[in-house]
Order: sequence, then C-alpha cells, then structure tokens
Amino acid sequence: MLPWDSVHIPDGFLSTPVWLALDVTGLPAVALLARRARRELEEARAPLLGVMGAFVFAAQMINFPVAAGTSAHLVGGALLAITLGPAAAAVVMTAILAVQAFVFQDGGILALGANVFNMGIAGVLAAWLPYHLWGAGRHRRTAIFAAGALSVVVSALLAVSELLASAVPVRPAALAFLLVVFGVSAAVEGVITVAVVRGIERLSPRIVHNATPERSWGLAVCGAGAVLLAAAGGLVASTNPDALQWLGGQLDILGRVTTLFAAPLAEYRARWLGSPWTSKAAAGTAGALLVGLICIALGRAATRPRSA
Amino acid sequence: MHHVVLERWSRGESFLHARDARVKVVVLLVYLVALATTTPMTPIAGACYAALVAAAIVAARLPLAGLALRAATVLPFAGTFALFSLLAGDESRALSLVSKSYLSAAAVLTLAGTTPLPKLVRGLESLGVPRFLTLVIQFLYRYLFVISEQAQHMRMAALARGGGRLRMTHAAGAAATLFGRSYARAEGIHGAMLARGFHGRMELLAEARLGPADVLFLLGGAGLATALRLAMGTLA
Repeated sequence: MLPWDSVHIPDGFLSTPVWLALDVTGLPAVALLARRARRELEEARAPLLGVMGAFVFAAQMINFPVAAGTSAHLVGGALLAITLGPAAAAVVMTAILAVQAFVFQDGGILALGANVFNMGIAGVLAAWLPYHLWGAGRHRRTAIFAAGALSVVVSALLAVSELLASAVPVRPAALAFLLVVFGVSAAVEGVITVAVVRGIERLSPRIVHNATPERSWGLAVCGAGAVLLAAAGGLVASTNPDALQWLGGQLDILGRVTTLFAAPLAEYRARWLGSPWTSKAAAGTAGALLVGLICIALGRAATRPRSA
Repeated sequence: MHHVVLERWSRGESFLHARDARVKVVVLLVYLVALATTTPMTPIAGACYAALVAAAIVAARLPLAGLALRAATVLPFAGTFALFSLLAGDESRALSLVSKSYLSAAAVLTLAGTTPLPKLVRGLESLGVPRFLTLVIQFLYRYLFVISEQAQHMRMAALARGGGRLRMTHAAGAAATLFGRSYARAEGIHGAMLARGFHGRMELLAEARLGPADVLFLLGGAGLATALRLAMGTLA
C-alpha cells in the first residue's frame, strides 16, 4: 500500500491566509460548477452523481496489484471526469470530500476549501485536459493514462505547495521523498484508470457512449490553468528556498533556473512575510480570483465562435 | 464499520443531540477557527481546547474513549509531518500540528456523532450550501453502504472461485463491473424516485426551528471558544 495517493489536508496544517483564501475561492467555484453540471445533465440527476460517489468509495476496496507484491487502489478523480464530464465530476468529488471530512475525519473542515480546490477542481480539470484534447483520437489510451496521472500529480503538488506556503517545515530530503511517492502514485493511478476505462468500454459500451460528452474548450482551458497553477505551486515551494536550492543542487541544469527564480522571489517573500496576515489573505484571494477570471475570460473567448 | 457507529451515536439523546444542526455547525466553525488561529500552540492552550471538546463529548453522552480513538485517524498524516518538523528541528511546530489536527478531528466527530447526516446536510443547505450539492451528498451517503456491500460480495465471490490475488485485468474488470452495476442502480433509483413525485428536494418530517436553547447554546459555545482564543492570545 502506498502511503498516500491523495493528500487530504487536515485542519491545523494550513495558515489562516491559505485556508481562508481557498475557502473563499474554492467553495463558490464548486457552486458554479454545480449549476453547470445541473444544466449539462438535463434533469436533476443528483441520484446518479451520488451513487457514482458511493462507487468511488466502494472501488477503493478493490486492490490493484502493483509491482513487487504491493497493491494500490483507485483514487477516481480522472475516472469520474472521463465518464461524467468535468463539471459533474467536480461536484461528485466535492461531495466525496465533504463526506470524508464530516464522517471519516479524512481532511479538515476549514481545509475543505483547499482539498476541494486541489482534488475536486484542479485535479479534475487537469484530468479533463488530456482526455479532451486526445481522448477521441489514436492516442486515446495515452490520453487516459495522462488523465489519471495528471489528476494525482496536480492535486498532490498543490497540496504540498499549500503546506509549504503555510510554513510547515519540510526538509529537502522529505520533500524529495514526497515527490517520489507522488510520482509513483500518479503512474499507478494512470495505469489503473486506463484498465478500468477499458473494462467499462467492454462491459457497458452504452455508458461510455453517453460518457463522451460535448467538447468544451472553456473547461479545457481551465484544465490547462490547473496544470499551470500546479507548476506555479513549485514556485510557491520556493517560500521554502533551501528545498528548491537543494533540488537545484541535485540537478545541475536546474541550478541556474532556480537562482533565476529564487532571487526575485526571496525579496518578494521578505516583503510578504513582514505584512500582517490580512494582506496576505487578500493577496492570495486576489491571485486566485485573477486566475479564475482569466480562465473564465479565455473560456468564453474560446467557446464563443462555436456557439455563434 | 466506522459510519455505522457514527450513525448509532447520532441517534442518541442529549442536550447536544437536540440542538439545531445550523447552530452546531456555526459553533464548530468558531471553535475550529479559534483553534487554527492560536499560535503558538502552548500545552496550556492545548489542554484548554481539549477540555472544551471533552466537555461537549460528555454533555452529548458519547463514549469519550471510543471517540478519542476514532479521532486518531488523523494521526498517520499529522504524525508524518510532525516527524518532518522534528527532523527540521522545529519541536513546537510538531506539537502544534498533531494537537491541532487531532482536536479538530475530535470536534468534527462530536458534531457528526450528535447530528444524523440528513439533518446535518439540511443545516448546511440552509447555511448556504447549494441544494444540488447537498442532494448529491445525501445520495452518496445513502448508497455508500449499499455499494460497499456489493463490492464486498464481489470480493467474496472472487475468493470463493480461487481468485486470492487478482491480476491487474481482473481487478479492473471487477471495478468496471461495479461501475456498470452502480450506474444501472442509479438509473433505477432515479426512475423510481421520479415515479414517486421526486422534485429535487428531500423532505424532512419537521422543519427545523431555532428555540431559545439553541440560541443559548450558540452564544455559550461560540462565546466560550472566542474567549479561550482571546485568552490564549494574551498568554502567548
């Protein structure tokens, strides 16, 4: 069993600016997606989404053999995005995370916004991106693998950068260990997702036929935004500069890039840390809102010619 | 199973069980915010916050030891990062991570152990959570047990046929079968509900109403947590 294939952040880990900013932005985003999912699914298909959420819980009891006698289980974000579409998948993931937080103490309540943002929004959109772009073509299998792997990597990277931004001390060696774990979990999730989607295609082709929903460029752009944001999370990780420098030292090529980014960021951080947390929260919220608005604007621009 | 125990706890009778779900959610949030914003987390502060949760658990007539044990589910995660903090030489941070996450989990368990999920979800709905989402949560919780049991039956069947250790394709086939069955079940449920006049809202037998005791609990609980936070602020 791998340590974690999905990072549910408990309460008490994130600093106030971080959880507040993510609650303020993540939860309304889900409300928006809930409205969209309701529209896409025509009638109130709440029963379907709820039962699919229960399925993801139950599917975690099925052990998938991984190399060397270990086993792993399905995380499910990518599978939901592929079968239900991204908006509905985000709603189901949010419902799963809410039940996990309230009933199973897996993830915190104040940290629910962060967990929803990492897994329910960014993870689902990151999975949707490759499937949307290449899922119908020759590289379908690769696209499904990428969907599974990206969903895990993006949510894990975001979670770790949130922890680092909250000044949870993670030594470079520990960070490297976490990154290796996430890399392995991501590959495993990719393989499992491919296998399960192929199984579903064989057993119930009707569902997969239903499950190739209309192509939405807006959401694909949001997905690209999610991937970029996770990459930027690596830069946020430089609030813990020695970790990044250590990694840079390990990989000599990265060394120059690191100093390139670390120099301006160090100053930025110093200015930031001096300010009270309210301004940090405001800055964080503003940043997240800005990314959201850019995503919406790009999405609108990309979808307009198609609907006209 | 965990949620079966919670289900039994939440049907109990006590002062806390009888309170309105909205009030309990608000008091929980105030407590969690107070706990989260207390820095540094001194042992005295930890003891005071723990006493507050313990008082709530006793008032709810929930088993203190059983609840404390169940709240320990956060410890593997918290412990790992506490270990990282120790390795980084930050002992107070390690203590704060473990105590804050553990006390938060205990507080959430106290809410879940005194409020049946339908009431809790209805409370969240009237606090502003979108109805579509609360509906999905309710269906998820309702069928969690059903689908898990089906998965268990499938595992048993595989074992009985000599499938001790599944190969990747077998495991994927099992997951795909479970998916197809869940999907078909969902469609059946939806059709049956529509036939019985479902219009997108779960009906409760009685609409929740705030009583004087609820207001009292709100003021008392939230006030106590706030006072504790302010006291800890000056202590620190």
